[in-house]
Amino acid sequence: MPREHPLASVERELKVAPQHRLDLIEEVEADVRALQAELVRRGHGRVQARRAALRQLVPASAALEELEARHTPRLGRWTRASGPIDRVLMLAVAAVATVVGVQAVFALPGLVPLGTANFLVWPQAIVIGLLAANLAHAVTRLWLHGDLRTPRRQALWARQAGLIVAAVAIGALGAAWEGYLAVVTPASAGWEVVGRIASLAATGVATAIFGLFGWLAITPRLISDEELERRITRFFAQARPASAPPGVNPKPQGGLR
Amino acid sequence: MPQVTLSKRINELMVLAVLEHGPAHGYQIALSVEERTGGAFSFQHGTLYPILHRLEDEGRVRGAWRGEGRRRKTYRITTAGRAELQAGADELERQFRALLGLLRGTHAA
Repeated sequence: MPREHPLASVERELKVAPQHRLDLIEEVEADVRALQAELVRRGHGRVQARRAALRQLVPASAALEELEARHTPRLGRWTRASGPIDRVLMLAVAAVATVVGVQAVFALPGLVPLGTANFLVWPQAIVIGLLAANLAHAVTRLWLHGDLRTPRRQALWARQAGLIVAAVAIGALGAAWEGYLAVVTPASAGWEVVGRIASLAATGVATAIFGLFGWLAITPRLISDEELERRITRFFAQARPASAPPGVNPKPQGGLR
Repeated sequence: MPQVTLSKRINELMVLAVLEHGPAHGYQIALSVEERTGGAFSFQHGTLYPILHRLEDEGRVRGAWRGEGRRRKTYRITTAGRAELQAGADELERQFRALLGLLRGTHAA
């Protein structure tokens, strides 16, 4: 099994935005190569020079902690220092988003009484709350902590997509319910029933749009982070031969400026 | 200036002192500190980078990336850094004189 790149654990443990992680590993990698070459030029063995360069320059836990504190977004530094405020802030963002979402969605069908299927308003409100909470989680990870790694980002998007589907399903269920009741009780047919069906379907669509647009708002940051994550992956893929541990006999690369 | 421990302050000043002689990469700063202090001081386990990044954030050094593909970062001292180096060296000199005076028993009673 190939051994891990000496900077892989640094990249993994450093909980900061991908731009800072990429900058650090590129900076350290270039310095390690140059220091190794310099030490070889001064008469050290290649393996010995490599070990010395790694020992001197690859950040260990104390340096990583300092770097993390340095590169965490300012607001995140403050909330971390303040302990529970971190979570309070996330809950506040989720609560505000929920209230705004519920107001927006239910303002739409509010003009038409929902009738017998109005109990579906509650699951729909819960879905809006969950969409808001999911979004708040992503927002706080991105702008407070600065670090939303690909697996977590994918999990959050999967949850968001699932909730969007649930919202549409609840809207469709309500509309179908009203339609069914109109069919089995012909006396209630008419434009009023059509209005109720449309209102219930609209709550589903409106909730889905709320979820989609919320995610759309953070998409530019997600795209740039994704690109940086790809560059980090490329960095480790390309650096592997030259950064192999001593004894693997890599081709000599780099050198002094 | 933010509150820093004496060792952090010394580290910062050593980095600034090296950069006073011209722009350098991180590894060159580490090598230079070790050589110019006769091995009395050396940066190990990547402790240099938090110092460089802090100095850069605070505007006392300026980092610049060079190169396409495989980038390298070079640091140079700023005017604020030079002023800081001068003030810091004076302050340390005063503090160490006082400390040595105390240790050797030559301090003013």
